[in-house]
Amino acid sequence: MRWTSSDMDMYMKEKEYVDTAVIPMLPVSFGSDMKQAASMAEFIALLTNQLERQFRGRLVLLPGYTYFKNDSEKSLEGVKNWERELGKDQFKHVFIVTADTEWKKHERNLSSSLIWLPSIPLEHMDENYKVSIIEDQVKQLMHLFIQKWRESE
Amino acid sequence: MSKHRVSRRQFLNYTLTGVGGFMAAGMLMPMVRFAVDPVLKASEGGDFIATKQRVDEITTEPQRVDFTFTQKDAWYESEVTNTAWVYRDDKGEIVALSPVCKHLGCVVSWGSDSANPDMFFCPCHYGLYTKDGVNVPGTPPLGPLDVFPYQERDGILYLGKAKPHKEA
Repeated sequence: MRWTSSDMDMYMKEKEYVDTAVIPMLPVSFGSDMKQAASMAEFIALLTNQLERQFRGRLVLLPGYTYFKNDSEKSLEGVKNWERELGKDQFKHVFIVTADTEWKKHERNLSSSLIWLPSIPLEHMDENYKVSIIEDQVKQLMHLFIQKWRESE
Repeated sequence: MSKHRVSRRQFLNYTLTGVGGFMAAGMLMPMVRFAVDPVLKASEGGDFIATKQRVDEITTEPQRVDFTFTQKDAWYESEVTNTAWVYRDDKGEIVALSPVCKHLGCVVSWGSDSANPDMFFCPCHYGLYTKDGVNVPGTPPLGPLDVFPYQERDGILYLGKAKPHKEA
């Protein structure tokens, strides 16, 4: 489900079936790595969107977590806040999807599952090629999700 | 000159009628157009979309067929790829099933559950459907998978808008 009012209606009704929240991590930077940050955000947004289409009945795709790339302390606090807030509700699984290696360092401090994927530069890519690449990545992500779900049963 | 002389009054009458007629037509035409507009509108969703699947290559084993169309979401237009599971049934007729689970809308796939290799499986809540798209009782889905109407043109498979399953 997406973060839209119509999908939230569905969520209210079928709450017991929805146990997973996905937070896409969208970095923002105005320094030298501006372009890199943008390409990461683009890639993660596309990827999580496709993932939602596959698993829309079991997960809620939250609006992305936007953070400044050069301020990792503060962003970490923010993420922990999200985790606390989501843990209160009945999300058994919280997945953080990112392309930023910075988060890998903080993985120990996070209670949710951090999924790091290398960002693929999509800017010069042909539309068809782009779609097939994203699809491949989504398939891998799906396996990870299914695996995690199976583990907890 | 001509025998029939046009008087000033007649000339003015003719020109006024002519100009007035044009003005009236100019006003009425759009109104009529608006009135009959719903009839002129092309029926949406009735059209069939081409896939890359050749009809003679369809086997009895369900296979993934993707087809792309443009979807308009408010003012945002996007290319959407849809998937169908296509196969030939025992009678040799083509069946195209929608992959959207009737439970909560996840995407099902053929034989992805190792315990049930000849069923459609939904990874979200472990829903199962038999090959003809009918849900297996005892699993979460409440109804059978939707069916795409299909057409064959020049050996290529065309799919229409998904419709609810008829039998069952």
